[in-house]
This record gives sequence, structure tokens and C-alpha cells, in this order.
Amino acid sequence: MGKSTGFMEYERQGRPERDPQERVKDWNDYTLPMSDEEAQKQGARCMDCGVPTCHTGTEMAGGTSGCPVYHYIPDWNDLVYRGQWKEALFKAHEQNNFPEFTGIACPAPCEGACVLGLNENPVAIRSVERSIVEKGFENGWIVAEPPKTRTGKKVAVVGSGPAGLTVADQMNKAGHTVTVYERDDRLGGLLTYGIPEMKLSYDVVLRRIRLMEEEGVTFVTNANIGKDIPSSQLEEENDAVVLCGGAANHRNIDVEGRNLEGVHFAMDFLHANTKSLLDSEHEDGQYISAEGKDVIVIGGGDTGTDCIATSMRHNCKTLTQFDIYDKKPAERDEAVNPWPQYPVIHRIEYGQKEAEAVFGDDPRAYAVQTKKFVGDENGQVKEVHTVNVKLKFDEQGNKYREEIPGTEKVWKADLVLLAIGFTGPEQQLIEEMGIETTKRTNVKADLNTYQTNKEGVFAAGDMRRGQSLIVWAINEGRAAAKACDEYLMGVAEPV
Amino acid sequence: MNADEIQIKVSQGAKPGEGGHLPGKKVYPWIAEVRGSTPGVELISPPPHHDIYSIEDLAELIHNLKNANPEARVSVKLVSAVGVGTIAAGVAKGRADLVLISGYDGGTGAAPRTSIKHAGMPWEIGVAETHQTLLLDGLRDRITIETDGKLMTGRDVVTAALLGAEEYGFSTAPLVVLGCIMMRVCHLDTCPVGVATQNPELRKKFIGDAEDVANFMRFIAEEARELMAELGFRTMNEMIGRNDVLERKEEIDHWKAKDVDLSALLYRPEVGSNVGHYAQVEQDHGLEKSLDVQELLPLCKEAIETGKPVEGTGSIRNIHRVAGTILGSEISKKYGEKGLPEDTIRLKFKGSAGQSFGAFVPRGVTMRLIGDANDYVGKGLSGGKIIAHPSPRSTFKAEENIIAGNVCFYGASGGEAYLNGKAGERFAVRNSGAKLVVEGVGDHGCEYMTGGRVVVLGETGRNFAAGMSGGIAYVLDEQEVFASKLNKELVLSEAITDEAEERELYELIETHANYTQSDKAQRILDNWEEMLPRFKRVIPVAFLEMRDRIEGFRSEGFDKFESEMRAFELSQKSEEEQLAEQEKEEEHNGEVDRVYGV
Repeated sequence: MGKSTGFMEYERQGRPERDPQERVKDWNDYTLPMSDEEAQKQGARCMDCGVPTCHTGTEMAGGTSGCPVYHYIPDWNDLVYRGQWKEALFKAHEQNNFPEFTGIACPAPCEGACVLGLNENPVAIRSVERSIVEKGFENGWIVAEPPKTRTGKKVAVVGSGPAGLTVADQMNKAGHTVTVYERDDRLGGLLTYGIPEMKLSYDVVLRRIRLMEEEGVTFVTNANIGKDIPSSQLEEENDAVVLCGGAANHRNIDVEGRNLEGVHFAMDFLHANTKSLLDSEHEDGQYISAEGKDVIVIGGGDTGTDCIATSMRHNCKTLTQFDIYDKKPAERDEAVNPWPQYPVIHRIEYGQKEAEAVFGDDPRAYAVQTKKFVGDENGQVKEVHTVNVKLKFDEQGNKYREEIPGTEKVWKADLVLLAIGFTGPEQQLIEEMGIETTKRTNVKADLNTYQTNKEGVFAAGDMRRGQSLIVWAINEGRAAAKACDEYLMGVAEPV
Repeated sequence: MNADEIQIKVSQGAKPGEGGHLPGKKVYPWIAEVRGSTPGVELISPPPHHDIYSIEDLAELIHNLKNANPEARVSVKLVSAVGVGTIAAGVAKGRADLVLISGYDGGTGAAPRTSIKHAGMPWEIGVAETHQTLLLDGLRDRITIETDGKLMTGRDVVTAALLGAEEYGFSTAPLVVLGCIMMRVCHLDTCPVGVATQNPELRKKFIGDAEDVANFMRFIAEEARELMAELGFRTMNEMIGRNDVLERKEEIDHWKAKDVDLSALLYRPEVGSNVGHYAQVEQDHGLEKSLDVQELLPLCKEAIETGKPVEGTGSIRNIHRVAGTILGSEISKKYGEKGLPEDTIRLKFKGSAGQSFGAFVPRGVTMRLIGDANDYVGKGLSGGKIIAHPSPRSTFKAEENIIAGNVCFYGASGGEAYLNGKAGERFAVRNSGAKLVVEGVGDHGCEYMTGGRVVVLGETGRNFAAGMSGGIAYVLDEQEVFASKLNKELVLSEAITDEAEERELYELIETHANYTQSDKAQRILDNWEEMLPRFKRVIPVAFLEMRDRIEGFRSEGFDKFESEMRAFELSQKSEEEQLAEQEKEEEHNGEVDRVYGV
């Protein structure tokens, strides 16, 4: 709601960032806190829209428009503008179990759908959200609130990523006894091992998990269901099982030389880096180092950016990022990508800023397709061969890429990181449990019941919908928890 | 004179019974000019019409407007409600050309939330009732039924036609086509797409194009045509009121729907085949029988064409309503707002004038009435001059007797009038520019006035100056009772101190004495020094502030527009900001003092 004339008086200001040349020297948060006054101004820019589109998450033209957790954005913007931080914190938690995760790492489809974004810079919603939740933790306003009664029902959650944590939090607050199983040594799933420290630090994840533990959630690490613990045991011991195992099957790039040394999946690179960093500040050497190397990151998404930022902190020698798409326009093309769709525009993320600050150039190459990797006599990658492509559509409307003759190029490379997404969940556990999947290998469970073909077994998050955003994982976690709770407790008939 | 239709908005569907309010922050100088008010001062459109207290009053207003512009259709906007059919029948008998039945769903841009959710009824109910009632009364064929209130599709158009409407008003949907995003801030002047704002910066964001609206309406028509083809109708006219082709959807099984009975909506009165079921006969307004057409126009024909002065004398009776209005309309048609030079046409009437004497007359027409007048004298006066006094041979004291009825000079925007005697209630309500002198008024004088001058040389009724936001009234308060009659909500009452104002007042009374031979005026002028302190000057606080600000800027050498704009901008700063600026200035002054102090 904010101030009625706020959008005419103040300019958009996102959360400030540290100097890129300085921040690449450590693994600390690359941003700086936003002052209360600035956050209040940003809140004041919210317009009290008659028909707000920021908080109604929908899928539109393959992207997300508006907030998938239906955050009460105009409400907390107004409260921040009025300096009522504690009330804002309450509002921010009403629809979102973990506003700190989204406040840090959400691509903010709310801002893409912000009505002010129609003809001005949208409200800096994500920065305001982060300010709210940080203030809450600073002032000790966020405390454990264990349920007053217990239902006696036991629920097992497989996976401790954002979907699993949301399910656990919701189910626990509803009074069920929840145990979360995580196959890694640390909790948090991709929050911990997928997003690097300088963006979303493990402390932030742990802070929330400690609260949940205080509230009564049990966490078990190093527990790979199907390996360390049989799934049948889980089903026998619990009244319901919710699968939130994510979509961890990497998309591969099946070209000559893929198996050469030095060609890695981005997730392996990021995971090892974070683990070694947290275990020993990189003393143990158990990570893939980019130090002194010519690094090529294949993939133009957020994971690619994280690989760039991590390589920068390793002191790589050169850095190139391949994007299969053409360079996007600076402003949205109203004809094909109208508001309130998620804006398809050229963005310069933190990793690219850092590479540009150190090397003097944006590291990206556009419309590049990898043809093959060439190694030296030791089987170590030394070159990447590429060709430029043009996106085309056949008569049936299926897209395909046409190579442009004469654009073949050879790039020097010691380290190649594949950050081209995931194809779906790992199938081992799914097969073992006898769970049906969709054509895309995701677990089959509809949006009303979230229940799989097995009674009492539910699925949520990337495992059900395929790779997506944290905020969709929270959305699914909440909805699946509701469905699971109704399954356990029944639904009260409306009088 | 360019209007195709003049609408009397008795109510609005989205906020029935609430009137309108244009906040001061939206009254930019160019808006104030059009509305005859002061920049930065709010404008209140109250829900009641102060000239309509009965269906006869409404008929009179319809007649007035038809005289003012015989070419324009006169329509009456009613809100869908139980019993609206009866009112519509009155409207039809009052000879309106069109009745508009407005539903509760429309125009919610600045309507209060309580109204949006909790007031009004669907247009379907109102249209059905109106059509059926008019058919039964045999009135349907002489009045058009229009409906509005969130019509969005061709299907809505067809439904409305089948229930009995032949015209359809669209607003929300075309506005959205023009870029409206339904912010519901139309009242705040912060519309971020430049649709409902006067702020020049925000208006730059307007992306609307008339072509888009035309295109949208083509789609509406196309959909309507498709449905007509499905139903087997060839013309709209044969579809009007054919509710027999409508049927209730039986598959709705919502618990709220189970008790809904639509039979009243779908009832088709049995009337003979001679009864028209859509408008086919023109209303008979009887304009050719009016005094204007019979006598005044032939007399003034040359004056209107060439501007040659003309004088005429005749008698008038109370059957002669709206005297002078068609004449004025002919002048306005030819000369526009500026009219003819003052006193080009001088008409003298003897007798008792009917209602609406001199309504809407423009500059160049001077109407002198020797006798008395009914209600609505000089309604909407637009630059003309009206003088009324008793016959010199009369034996009563003019100042103690009523010379004109109620609602005189209602909505006047310019001109002058001098009444040697008292007028009734609601004198000069909504006056925005006329200078009026009278010797006493009834209740509610100068209500909602936004401009002009009113001089009352005698007693007023209660509730004087309620809702008054502009202009000045001078009231002679010999008995010292005025304080109890004044509505002090928006105005100040004080002595006259300004010399220029004193001179203006003296001249108005002097003119009054010259035109009407008023004894009272003459007595006042003869004892001016003694009488002056007994005058109270009634002026709206906001108007006074803005006027002083504007004059302040003018004295600094800014032109009229610039002064108004600066004053307007200053008025839009919150008290806090003004205080901060003042403090800053004081601080600065303080420093200077200290420097000199050392």
C-alpha cells in the first residue's frame, strides 16, 4: 500500500552490493545491508493497487508471474513504510515459511508482475522482504513456536531442501511428529550445497533449522532412503511419507570428449566447494579448483552464475560463459513478452559483475552450442569446439537450433562446468517404492491431493514438478502439507 | 449547444445516493476554470438535486433542458432498484427521451468500498421491471431504455436487449482498453497509467488510442451478432423485450441459488399488438407553443442575426414557462459563450411569470419583470441580466414581500440579477459566477456555491452557505441574527475591511437601486457609513486562502496561470512540509540575526 505518492517521489533502489573487486577475495555475503530508511522508501513505492498482480503466482508463457506463495506483498510493504517492522515480519511469515531464503535467492517473479513495472522500475520487493526478515532475526523476534498439542501422527519427509523443510515446518506446526531424512552430511539440500556461501550462507539455513529443531522436528542426516534406510521401513513406521527429493538428475551434454578430465557437472563443482569450505576452509583440498585455469561455464542460468562467482573466488585465469540463447534485449519486448509475464531481459548478475570487474569484460558468449571437447595426451580437456546457432521452429512449432556455417570456434579450456539444468528426479528410490511417474520422469501426484499412486505417500517440490524455484518448492510444500494433513485428520465438513 | 444528449443523473448505480466529490488536489487551474471554481479547493456534488423534490420538478427540469437545447436528447439516469419502473414511468410522462437504468457493478474507480460491496442492484432487475412497467402503462414506445453497469461482452448486450433495453453503456472495459489497470485511486490523482489524473507527469504515461476502443467495440458487436444469429433475430428492434427466449440455467446447484426465483424478470406482460415495445414515437415537448417561439423569436430575429439592439414589452402569465430560454439558446448557438453585447435585447414582461423565468439566458439579453415570478428564476443563468420588481403602482412594501419562488439562480455561471423583494428557499445554490442582489432569502441560501457574488439586503433562512466552497456572499444583518442562520462548516463570517470589496458592494447595491428603484437599497446607500458595519461578509476559508495565495503570486509579477499553478502546488504540500519549509526559512533568518548580533 505504501505512500500514495511514493512511486512518484522515490527511485527504485535494490540491496546494495560490495565492491566486486573486493568481494571476490572472500566467501562472505556479496551484498550489504539496506538501511531502514531506504527500505522504508522502497516500501513507500508500493502503490496500493486495486488489482495487484505481484502476489498471485501463476505460470504464464513458460515463466512465473507473481509470487507463487501468494505473499501479502502490498501489506508488508505498507507496514515497512510505516516503520511497523514487527507486524511486517508477521505478515511476511503468513504465506511464506522461509522469507529469508526467498529474500536472498528468489528471482522475484513478484517484481516482474509488479504493476509499477508496467511503465517504471518495479518496487524492490525482494530487498524489502530480506530487510524485514533480517531485522526479525537481529531483534530476536523470530523464536521457536512449538505446537501446543500433538496429534500422535508420524510423518517422514524425504529430503531437506526448501520443499522438505516447508512440509516439515507445516506438518510440525499442525501437531504431527515429523522426521526429516537427508542423504547428505548437511541439511538444506540445494539451499546449502547448490547455492554458494557468498549468496546464501549455510548459517542462514542452519539458523532456521535450529528453530525447527526447537519446535520439535527431528532431522536425520547421512540417511539415504533406499540405501541406508529401506523405504519399506519408512512406510511402516510412519502414518505418511512425503517425498521431497528434488530433481537431481543432471542434464548432460552428449558430445565427443564429454568424459575427459576437467569436464564436470556444475553441481559437483559447487557441492564439493561448499563442503570443503565448511569442513575445513578449503584446507582439505577436497574440491575442484579453478585456480589458474581457463574456465568455461556452459549454461546461462543462475547455476552458471554461481559457477562463475565460485571460479572467481578460486582465482581462475580466464572465464567464459556460454549461453545457448541470443543476447536478450535490455527491456522487455512488449509484443512477445508483455507485462505481467516474467521479463525476458538481459541481466547482469553478481557473478558476471565480478568477472567484468576483474577481467574487464562480461564473460558471456551468446548463441553458442558445444560441438565437442578435445583433450591432451593425459585425457585432460584442453579445448572446447563450438558453433553458433539460431533458434528456429519447424512446421509443428517445435523448436530446433540451426547451426550457422562459418561460426565454428575453438576455445582454450582446463575446466568445463556444465550448468544446463536437470532433467528430473533420480529414479532409484521411485522405482524401489513402485511409484508412478509422468512422461517427464517426475513423480505423478496431482495438485489437489499431492498423493502418489501409493496411499499415504505424497510428493512435493522439484520431485513432483521438475526443476524450479525455491518459491515454488515452498508453495508445493505448503499445499502438500495441507493435503497430507487432511489425509491424516480428515476434512471438517462445512456446516 | 454542441451536446447530443443532456443527462440528469438522479443517481449512479455504483454508489447510489452518494453524490460525488472532486478532492482539492485534483482541481488544477484548468479544471477550476471549466468548473467555475477555485484551484485547489474541493468540489462537492451532493447526492440530492436541489431543484428536484418531486417528479413534477423533474419534468420541469427536462422541459428546461429541452428549451435550452432542443436538438439534444434529454435523458434521466436512475439506479436499478425495486420500484424503479414506477419512477421510469414518471420520467416517461415527464417527457424524457431516454431513461438509463444503471446497475451496481459499474464505475468502481473511486467509489467508497462500502458502496462497491454493499449497495445497489443488478441492472437486469431494473431493466426488466422498467420495460414491463412502461409496456403496461403504454409508455414504452415513446422512451428509450438504456442500461449500464459493467456491461463487458456482446452477450451482455443481447441479454439487456432481451430484457428490454435498446441502448447499452460501456465504460470499464473501454477504459481498460485505454490502459486503465483498475488501481481504484481515481480520487487520489496518482493514477500510474495517466487515465484518471490531472498530474501532467502522470498523464505522459497514458498509452490509450481511440482506435483500440473502436476495435474493442467491433468485437462486442460481432459477438452480439453471432448470438442474434443463433437466436434467429434479424434486427435489434425485434429483440427488445423478448425475454421469452431467455431461460434460467437449471444446472447451477449452489446452495445460494436454490431459492432464487427469476420468474418476475422473465414475465412478459400481455399487451395488445398496438402497443410498441421499443421507442418509436417522439416525445411531445410542446416547444412550438412556448412564448419564445410564438413571440420572442420573431421579435428578436434581426437582433440575433445582426446584433442590432431591440426592445420589446409584453405581458406574461404563469402558463409561460421557461421564458427567454429558446431565445438564449439561439444566441448561444450563433455566438457561443460570449453572447451578444450587453443589453442588445431588452425585454420587458408584465405580470406573473411561470417557472424558470430567464433560465440559462446568455449575455446580451436583459429581462425585466414587472410583477412576480414562480420557482427557478434565472436557473443556470449564463451571462444574461434579470431584473424583477413590483409595479410602481403597487401598495405593499417590496422588501417585505416575496417576489420570486424557490431555487432561483440554481447553477448560475454568469450574469447579473436584481430582485426587489425576497426570494424563496435554496437561493443561488451551486452558483459559480453570477452576481446577484436580493432583499431576503429562505433556507439553504448559497448552498454549494463555488463562485460569484451574492448580496442579501435582509434576512436569510437557516443553513446559509452550507457546503459553500467559493465566491463571496454579503448579508445585511440588521437584527444581528445571522450568526444563528449560518452553516459555519466551511465559511467565515466577518466584517468588510477591504476597500476594493467595499466599493464593489456599494456599486452592486447602487446598480440594484437604479434598476429596481428599491427603497431599501436607496436607504442603505443614503446611510452607507452606518450600514456598512452591519454587513457580514461570508467567505469559504479554503477559497480565501487560495485567493490570497494567488494574489500573492500575482503581486510578485507572475501571470494568471502561473500564479494559480504555484498557489495550487503550494496548497498540495502537506502541513508538515509547509512547516518544514517555514522552519528552514526561520532557521536561515536566525543565522542572519546572529551574524548581525555579533
